[in-house]
This record gives sequence, structure tokens and C-alpha cells, in this order.
Amino acid sequence: MTPILKPWNLTLLVGVLATGACNFDIANPNSPEPLGQNPSRLAVSGAANGLLVGTRVDQADWVLDAAILGREAYRFDGSDPRFTGELLQGPLDAGGNAFGGDHWIEPYANIRGAKALLAVIGTAQSLTAEEHSAVSGFARTLEALEFLNVVNGHTQDSIPIDVLPDAAAPPAPFRSHADAMAEIVALLDQGKTDLQGGGTAFPFTLPSGFTGFNTPTNFIKFNRALRARVAVYLNDFAGALTALSESFLDVAAPMSLGVYIDHGTGPGDFANPLAQNPQVGENFAHPSLETDAQLQPGGAKDQRFLDKVVPRPERSVGSGAGQLSSHLGWIRYATPITPIPIIRNEELILLRAEANIGLSNLLPATDDINVVRTVSGRLASIPVLATPTAALDELLYNKRYSLLYEGGHRWIDMRHYNRLASLPIDRPANTPPDVIFSTLPIPTAEVLPRQ
Amino acid sequence: MTLRVWGIFFSCCFLSVQLAAAQVRQITGKVTNAETGQGLAEATVSVNGTRILAQTGNEGNYVLNAPDGDLTLVVRAIGYKRREVAVPASQGTADVALDPDVFKLEEIVITGQATGVERQNLPNAVATVDAADISRAPTPTLESALQGKIPGALIQANSGAPGGGIQLNLRGVSTINASVDPLFVVDGIVVSNAAIPNGANAVTLAQSGGNPRNQDNPVNRLADLNPADIEKIEVLKGGSAAAIYGSKATNGVVIITTKRGQQGKPQFSVSQRFGFFEAAHLLGQRQFASLADALTFSSDAALVTSLWNQSGGQNFNFEDELYGRKPLSTETSASVSGGTEGTQYFISGLVKDDGGIATNTGYKKQAVRANIDQDLGSGIQLAVNTNVIHSKSKRGLSNNDNAGTSPYLVFPATPGFVNLQASNGVFPNNPFERSNPLQTFALLQNDEDVWRVLGTVTARWSVFSSEHSHLQLIGIGGADYFDQRNNFVSPPTLQYEPNDGQPGTVVLTKAQNRNLNLAVNATHTYAPGSASWQATTSAGVQYEDRELNSTQILGRTLLAGTSPDLAASVAPFQQIEPVRDLGIFGQEEVLLLDRKLLLTAGIRADRSSSNGNTGKYFFYPKAAASYRLVKPFGGVDEMKLRAAYGQTGNRPVFGTKYLSDSTATIGGNFATLPSIQAGDPNIKPERQKEYEGGIDATLGSGRVDLSLTLYQRNISDLILVQTIAPSIGQQFHAFSSTSTLRNRGVEASLGVQPIRTRDASWLFRTTFALNRSKITHLSVPTFQTGGFGTSLGTFQIEEGKSATQIAGREGVVGDVYPKFQMSFTNDIDYKALSLGFLFDWKQGGDIINLTEFLYDAGQNSKDFETAGKQRQIDFASKTGVYVQDGSYLKLREVTLAYTLPSHITSSLFGSNMRYARLSLSGRNLLRFTGYRGLDPEVSNFGNQAIVRNVDVAPFPPSRSFFLSIDLGF
Repeated sequence: MTPILKPWNLTLLVGVLATGACNFDIANPNSPEPLGQNPSRLAVSGAANGLLVGTRVDQADWVLDAAILGREAYRFDGSDPRFTGELLQGPLDAGGNAFGGDHWIEPYANIRGAKALLAVIGTAQSLTAEEHSAVSGFARTLEALEFLNVVNGHTQDSIPIDVLPDAAAPPAPFRSHADAMAEIVALLDQGKTDLQGGGTAFPFTLPSGFTGFNTPTNFIKFNRALRARVAVYLNDFAGALTALSESFLDVAAPMSLGVYIDHGTGPGDFANPLAQNPQVGENFAHPSLETDAQLQPGGAKDQRFLDKVVPRPERSVGSGAGQLSSHLGWIRYATPITPIPIIRNEELILLRAEANIGLSNLLPATDDINVVRTVSGRLASIPVLATPTAALDELLYNKRYSLLYEGGHRWIDMRHYNRLASLPIDRPANTPPDVIFSTLPIPTAEVLPRQ
Repeated sequence: MTLRVWGIFFSCCFLSVQLAAAQVRQITGKVTNAETGQGLAEATVSVNGTRILAQTGNEGNYVLNAPDGDLTLVVRAIGYKRREVAVPASQGTADVALDPDVFKLEEIVITGQATGVERQNLPNAVATVDAADISRAPTPTLESALQGKIPGALIQANSGAPGGGIQLNLRGVSTINASVDPLFVVDGIVVSNAAIPNGANAVTLAQSGGNPRNQDNPVNRLADLNPADIEKIEVLKGGSAAAIYGSKATNGVVIITTKRGQQGKPQFSVSQRFGFFEAAHLLGQRQFASLADALTFSSDAALVTSLWNQSGGQNFNFEDELYGRKPLSTETSASVSGGTEGTQYFISGLVKDDGGIATNTGYKKQAVRANIDQDLGSGIQLAVNTNVIHSKSKRGLSNNDNAGTSPYLVFPATPGFVNLQASNGVFPNNPFERSNPLQTFALLQNDEDVWRVLGTVTARWSVFSSEHSHLQLIGIGGADYFDQRNNFVSPPTLQYEPNDGQPGTVVLTKAQNRNLNLAVNATHTYAPGSASWQATTSAGVQYEDRELNSTQILGRTLLAGTSPDLAASVAPFQQIEPVRDLGIFGQEEVLLLDRKLLLTAGIRADRSSSNGNTGKYFFYPKAAASYRLVKPFGGVDEMKLRAAYGQTGNRPVFGTKYLSDSTATIGGNFATLPSIQAGDPNIKPERQKEYEGGIDATLGSGRVDLSLTLYQRNISDLILVQTIAPSIGQQFHAFSSTSTLRNRGVEASLGVQPIRTRDASWLFRTTFALNRSKITHLSVPTFQTGGFGTSLGTFQIEEGKSATQIAGREGVVGDVYPKFQMSFTNDIDYKALSLGFLFDWKQGGDIINLTEFLYDAGQNSKDFETAGKQRQIDFASKTGVYVQDGSYLKLREVTLAYTLPSHITSSLFGSNMRYARLSLSGRNLLRFTGYRGLDPEVSNFGNQAIVRNVDVAPFPPSRSFFLSIDLGF
């Protein structure tokens, strides 16, 4: 009658397993430790490169959406008709993270990343004070870039500037457009100062898109290039010339010289989604690019058009008055690893022209425009522009073709000079007719918590 | 203490020896069905107040060695009402006729980890579904066999893809952002119902970035269980019944008990089924009448003209070309059960092959089970269950997509005059979209292969047993382990593949899941001599350790082969979800006043690694009472009043307490990014307090059974994943809030047996359920979540409103939750024929029909000219155009069966044949709905608390027909 099993032992076993041997505190197995006090060099490097990934998250989407808003591109996508509906006809959906409500979440997330790095960098004992300063200058420059991205998408209104650490806190107040621009200027200028005290090297490696700009000293040139763009947007043309003089502007250098965001196909990397087979892809160039392109002396179209756009089988969406069609495909980004520029020499030359036009210095402006026309477009030089209006027309033509499909420049510039009305309306008789929007709406998620 | 227990134990054994010596006379007799007079096999006849019992044989006869003197026999059989018969000392025979227990009043229903009471005393509305109900018609997976059978359960398929993917939702909306699924318990152990993405997202790009890939249309793993193994399913719908499962029980608990062997010679059951599936509903698309008509479709006149001429002016039916298959489907299941006094066994096997309606789709399953019971002596019973399952599914490609690959995203852009069919084995490219679905389905591989082992060992030790008192210790140890492999291979030859510059995609997914359960329960019953009352005390400990570890390797640029190893660019992903839970409970149950009054109370304490404070115990009390009135007034046989209260918890979704920073690389450099979701280090389970009351009654001499339940569930400490102002730099804030949610509902069921004669019977059952949810307090401002943005319909979380409201451009435009649900079941037997059918009715519950939106936008909907065009215009201001009523009435199951008369059976197969049955059955044969999509059962995002009913290019629904031959010998 001796029991074969001793059930008490089983109880004991369960008791031991349940209370003693088992650890209930399980660390997050799927994520790295959040950036904290006294970060290691590796953590600083990860966070710094994270700011570049953070800006990459939205870059290609912005290029495409802003190109559609500025009538440089179409996307005929059977999976999402909103590319030809919402973006061209409206209404823009503030409640959607794609389209109307887009280009807000991602830059603010990256601003948070920059602020988080700035908050702890001073405590990093494994870095020198110079290195702290270099990292700060880097982070502030990227933060400024992200604020600029927010402002570029959203001009009708003010935007929040204070990015708070606490998710449970009430959201930061909206500040005026002028305040936002002032914040960007301040961040860039402080960034420059930080970089000047940043020694000779960053305590991390920058990807190849920053070749030539990967030391604090060289990085200042990138910082100043952004500063020049901001100054032009602010109509601070003298300030723009000053900033340009400290940038990497060089009429003798390749037009492509500049700062790029890398794309790749390796583990954890992100392929450039704008790289498509131009014959079958969903992204199309706007037909007006072909008709508006000036001719080279030999009769060929503007080389910039030829370098970026090719003919392809025609496709259309809709019918009758609601039809859109195009027979032009994009070759701007050749492969999934082709980087997308943030800012490059060609823009800087045109920014200098733009600043000079603003200051009515039409001679140097024409010289710069001619550099771009002849080198980049293989067009004939033009005589000195006679009036500021004519100069602006010529400048905007060149900015359009030089900066095609790389960051919404067309839309931003036409808005800047109140010329949105001269962008083509493709479907005026559609129900509802197409509209040229001047801004994206503030996202519902930003508005609801304040009500 | 220990010594005393052993003392009692031995004296108990001594007592049984004495009793054995006192067996001096034999009582014989026959137990029969009071309705039909047929003998009842496997009925038990016991002497009241003793442990002496005998079982009847196949003809219903028994022989019992009984002590001298007057005694009372208690006669029981499953499915029949218990009867007590007085047998005087002089009497040597006792024939007993038992009344069928049509409404299962005497069925034992679970009330604790190791306790149960008869349904007639049960203080909660617990739904049970038995083997006969599950197997009425062949079912692809278990969940679909439950549709319409549980009042208060909303059971809806996420799509029509073969192999499962079904959500079971009990008593309304129990959460917004915490866990969604009920707890599934099989033979005492908690099993996994995980849904693991198959990797299709790599091609569909439905979800980009680091978001959870939940648009892959995954299978939830409950689908693995073999329905034929199941003896009974008990559904503890609300907190008052489920409180014994503590912090995991708010969504309800589904307790599945598998079949066990009975003492006796081996009994074989074999079932062979043949049938087929076919598409139940397709959408159709715009028909082009002429070339002029076709030319309106595209600006490329040359292309359209050439295609039109090639097609000969016909419109192809793409849906039929892709989903028009009706391949033979087969299912063979067999079991053998029996045993000796000491050992009983149930062994079963299943081989199933369901053909898919589309090329290269289908579902296969093989399963074996062995349930063994062994008496080890010394009052110890060991039950060992082992189950090995192998399931394979091929689910094609469906659901949302941003790459033009999912068929119902391609058809809307492809006019009918394009010929997509292969010629000489070569599929033409689709000139209007990125893919040709006929080519995609022919060449794409989306194979899921799952091996799963469920094993349980239960030891029951009768520590001591006396006439009045019985202490039992039950130890349960069990594991649910599965290994899932998904091979998703999209070869470079597919039309869409070169588009991203990286032709050929492969995703290899390997996921391992382990649920380890250990529990010890002690149950003490005390029944004093008068038998007028009885007390059951139980207490126990449960420990659960589970881990889901899922690894994906994504390869792009795959020019040859099917392994990521051969791809030019490779990226790995891994997600590990370890959780450890510990629960302690105690419960007291008292039956008083001649078993008329039941009082019960209990408490459970739980801690979990998912909580912020992992050391803290959360307490979940419960209490319930029921009172039985026997013949309270004319026509009423019995009536029961019941009331119950209970608290339960709901677990945070794994990872809610963490800040999930992400990683990436740029130009080969390692990068980290802050989490887009703010976690809550103090996260704790949601708490539900449920009040439930009801009346059950049996009328008309057991012909009518009525049950009515009212409940209110107050859920507090709601975990919110609040969409926050993105200028904070994060998108979501997950935290335990002070918000509260309320559900109120009514459940009713009525069973009537209008005909009950020797030759014919008709049992009609109907259920009704209604639930209304309301966010009674929202501690944060109104926010929107889920879906594809406001313009295409999103979900609005707002104080004072239903938790499931759909918001659009114009404000609130609908609600996902049904207004009410009903079901109607008929079981009609006439002589050897039986007919069973079940209608399932859902009234209300809106659906965001984005499939129609895509067809309209592609100017390709069936009614584009007459209505679609206008819908597109209206859509510019009204999301509501595409938010449509999802009411339906479906004929879920029909079975017509013929049981061969026994003389034919024995002349054909010999006298050992117990039964032979032929049946014809169908599932989802008819449906009535005003919904314009493929199927009003749809969920692009899989199992969801709120964000259901989003219809984006789902896999079309199917109906099935089967011929079955069932033999028992």
C-alpha cells in the first residue's frame, strides 16, 4: 500500500518552481536599452546615426508627396487611389498618417531623438568635452533640419516647438511661424558654435552620404548650407549670402557635391523606394515637365529633364474629365541604394542667385544661373536678366529642373513667391476639381488633445 | 498533520476491504431509455452511500454485487437524468428507465480549477457545446464549428482563407488595447492561440517600417485542435464564472475537454468524409459592352484597342479563373477506446485534406491523440494526454497591400477585357497593374507548416475518503509546444518582383512557442449523513511559463532557389515574448436545503512578469448564489434564480511596460531610434467587475428549457494605447489609465422539444444576445485609432460613447458591434433519419468596405456606371459611403443523416457493428446580407478588440459540401 507517487513532492516541486527558481523580472528581449545617462561611445554613435535614420524615415515619402502637390509627379497606384484623389483633389485628411496628416510624426520623432541625445551627451564620461560639443553641433543641425521639414509641410499655421519629454504631459503650445523659423535659425547657429568647439573628429562614423562633411569643421559647411536655405525662405538675402560664403558652394565643383541620406539593402537598411523600373513603376513624371523643358542648342530637351525623366508606356487613371495620364517615368534614382540628397552644390549656387535677385544684384545672379544652365542643363547662357521678375522666372525654372524630385523644392518655391496659382490644374472639370494646396493640415492627433 | 492524514487513508482502505467481504447478493436488471425502451450502454448503477457500482453492457444489462438489506440504487447515464430506485432486501432485480436529459440539467459544469456542479445548480450562464454539436457538420477548424452555438459569443472569420483565422469574442467589448483573445484551456492547461505573421508583408508592403505585421492574414493557432477529439467545450463568458482564472479571464475562458476511454472492450469509430469547397460569393466587376466603352477606361487607346481585339470583345471573369476550383477534400478520422478496470484509453487519429478554392491553396492536417487513464492504486489516478498535430496550410496572398500584388487590389485596376490566362505555360503581364494574380498564385509559395505537441499529466490522489468527507489532491503538469515554419517564396519571374530593383523575395519564418503549465489543486468535500447539504473547499496554485520566439529571415534578390541563404540581400528579425504568471486561489462552495441552494465564494491572487510591479499580487474575488424551485407553479417543472459577481483581470499586451527603442543601419553604421510608444513601467492588468443575474426554467415535463441572463461588466484601469499629440515626438502612450468601460447585455436561450415520440423527435433551440458598450470615463481627450486615416474610416475612442464607433470625415459614421445576434438550431429525427441545421443571424455591425472603394476608384466596380461613379464623388465629403451594414443571416450547418437499421448493419458487417451512418452535410450554404463586399465576416487586421470589420481585399469566403460515412464497431 505504499504510494507509488508522492504527490506532496509534486506540490513542493511546483512551489519551488513557482516562487523560488523563477524570475518574474524579465528585461525587454527585443530592444536595446534606451539612451540614458553617461552613454557609452557606442550608444552615442548609435543615437547619432539614429538621427540620420530618423530623417530617412520620411524623406522619400516627402519627396514623392511634395512632388505630387507641386505637380512634378503622379503616382498611379491601384492599391491606394489617394495619391491621385486626396493629394490632387482633396480634401486632405488630417486624420490619416499618410497623405494629409503625414510629414509631421516622423520629424517630431527625430526631434525627440535629437533632444534626447543633447540631454545626456554632457554626461558621457567616455567622451571628451570637445567630442560632447561636436555631438551637440551635429544633433542641433539635424534637429533644425527636422523643424524645417515640419515647417515646409505646414505653413498655414503655427507649430509646436517645445518637444516635451513626458508623453502624459499636455502638449506644447503652438507658436507662430516666425517663432518656428527663429528656433531653426537659433538651432543652426548654436550648432555651428558647438561644431567650432568640436575638435577635429566626430566620436562616431558617418555614412558615405556625408563624405566630405564628416568632421566637425566640414560639417559646419553643411550647417551653413541649411542656414542659407532658411535665410532665403525668410527673405533674409544678406544673411543668406553670408551663410553661403561659409558653406560648400563651389561653382567649380560637381553639382552633385553635397550631403545625402544613404539607402541600402543590407540588414536593417532601407532601400530607396523612389528607385523604380521607369517603364512599369507607379511613379510618373508630370507631363508638363516635358512641355516646359527648354531646348539645348542641339535641339534636345534640357539635359536635367533628360537625366531624370524618360518616356514610358502611357498609363492613366479615371476617365473623361476625371482622367489623368502620363507617359513619363522617373530615372532620378537609379537603384535601391541610390542616396537622396538633403542639400547639394547645385541648390547652393541657385540659392546665391536667389539671394542676389532678392538684393537686386542681377548680374551675379545671372552668372550663377548661367553656371547651372550650362553645366547642368547644357542650355545656352542667357544675357543678364533685365528685371527682378524676369530673374525670378528664370531662377524658378532652373530650381524646378535642377532640384526635380528631390525634396519638394518646386512646391515650396512657388508657395514662397505666391505663384501656386500658376501650377497646372490637371482636372478643372472633375467633380470635385483639382486644387493646388498650399499646406498640409495639422494632424487630427495634434488637434484633438488640445480640444 | 501528515500522520493523521495517512491514518485516515489507511483506515479508509481497510473499510473498503470490509465492504468487499459484505457483498453477499446479486442485483440484476436492465437500464433503458424511457422514451424508446432501448437498452442504455455504459450506464452506472451504484448503491447509494457506498462506492459499490456496476456498468451496463451494450444491451443495457447490469449485474451488481450488493450488500444485504434495503438499499437505494442510483442510476446514471450521460445524457440522461439521474434516477434513484429503492430496492428492498428481498428484491434481486431492478429495471430502470431513464428520461433523456435533453437540456443537460444534470451535466457537471466547471466552477473552479478542480470543481464543478450540476447545471441545475449553476449560478452563472455557462455555455456548453458537446461533441454532437461540434460534429454536426464537417468543419475546417474548431472555431467555425462554434459559430451560432454560444449565446453572447461573436465568432467571426477574418477572411475565407483555408486553415482558420477566426476571432472569438465574448460578451461585448472587454478592452480597447489589452489582450483580445479569450483564454483557451485544454484538459487543464492553457494553450496558445498565437497568430504569427507569415511574411507576406515583404511583398505586399501592407505595413512598412517597424510596425507589427498584422495584415498578413495569419492563422490563429487554436485551429490546430482536432474537433473530433473534443468531448465538451465549456465557455465561461464573463467575470463571475471566469474569476477562477484571475488576471487572464476578462475576455472569457474556453475550457476544452477531450474524450476519454471507458472500461469495456475496444470500441472503434471510423468516419470517412468526401467533399469539396467552393467560392460562396464573388464580387463581379464592370462589364465593357463595346470598344468605345473600353476606351473610356484608359487614355492609352492603342493598348485598349489591341487588348479588346485580342479578347474578341469578351469580359473575362478573373475571380472565377482564380477562385473557381472545387477540388476533392477528404477527411478520415478514427478512434478506439476502451479499457480494463485499471486502465482506460482513448486513441484517435485524423487525416484531413481540404482543397482550396484557389490554385495552390489548401489546408492539411494530421493528428494523433492518446488519452490514457491508469489507476495506480493507493487512491491515485493518473491521466496522461498526448496529442501530436501536424498542420500545413497554403493561403495564397490576400488583404491590404501597397505593391499591387493582392488579387482584390489588382482586379479593381484591371479591366475585364485583359486576358490574364497563361498560354503555353507563360502568363502574360498585366498591363494595368503590377501583377497578374493568376501568375502570382501559380508561382508564389506561401506555405505554413506547424508541428505541435500537447501533453498533459494529471495525477489525482484521493488523500482520504470517508462516508462524509473526501480530500483530493490534483496535480497537473502540461506543455503546449509548437514549431511553426513559414516558407514564403516569391520568385523573380513574377511580374511585380523586379519593380523594387531586387527581383525575388523569400521570407523564412521560424516560430517556437512553449506554454508550460504546472498546477496543484486540493479539493475537500464534506457531506454530512443527512445529505441535505454539502460543502466543497478547494485551493491551489497555478504556474504558467510561456515564450513565443519568432525569427524571420528576409532575403531579397533571389535569382534561384528558395532559401534566404541564396539571396543577395538578407535581413533577420526576431521577436521574443516571454511571460511568467503565478496564481493562487481558494474557493468554498456550499449546497444547502436539499441541493436547492448553492452558495459559493472564492478569491484568486495573481502576479505576472507582464505587470510593471512583478512582485505584486492582484486579487480577484467572486461570489455567487442560486436557488432551485421545484414545481413552483403549474406547468413549470423547475425554476432557478441565480446571481453572481466576480472580478477578473486582463493582461497587458506583451511589451507594454517597456520602451521599445528600435535599431537600424545606415550605410553600414549601427543606429538606434527612440521608441515611438511611451511605455508604462507601472502597467497593471485591467480589472473587470461583472454582475450577472438570471432565471433558468424547465417547463412542460422537460420539453421546454428557458434561460435568461442579464449582465453588466464594468472594466476599470483600462490600458490605453492613446494616440498622443505627435509633437511630443512619440505617437502612442501606453498606460494603465483611470478610464472605464461598461458593457451591458442580455442573453437568452430557449430550447423546445415539440415532438418526442418513439419514432420522431424535434428539438428546436434558439439563442439571443445583445450587448451595448460605453466608455463611461475617458481620462484622456477623445482620440482616433486604427484603420487607414479618417477619410477611409477610423475608430474613435470617446467618453460617453460606444467603444466601437467608426469615425469618418463627417464625424461618427457607424459602429462595428452588432445590434443583436440570434441563432436557430433544429435537430429533427425520424426513425433512422436525422436532419440538423443551424441559422446564425447577426443584425447590425458596420463594415468599412475599402474593397469597394478600390473598385470604384479603379472605375471597375460591377455597378460603376450606375452607382460607383457617384459613390466616388460622394466620398469626397462622406466616408459613410463605404461604411456599410454588415448584417447577415447564414445557414451555417446542414446535415441529413441516415443510420442503417441494426438488422441491416449486422447482416452487412456482422453483429459487432454498433452503428453505420451515412450523412450529407454542408457548411455556410446560404447567406442573406445586404453587404456589398465579399463577406460580412472580415478583418484586415486579424483579431482585434476594436479595429475589426475593415474589408481590404480579403480572401473570398467558401461553402463546403461533404458526404460522410460513420461506422462504429
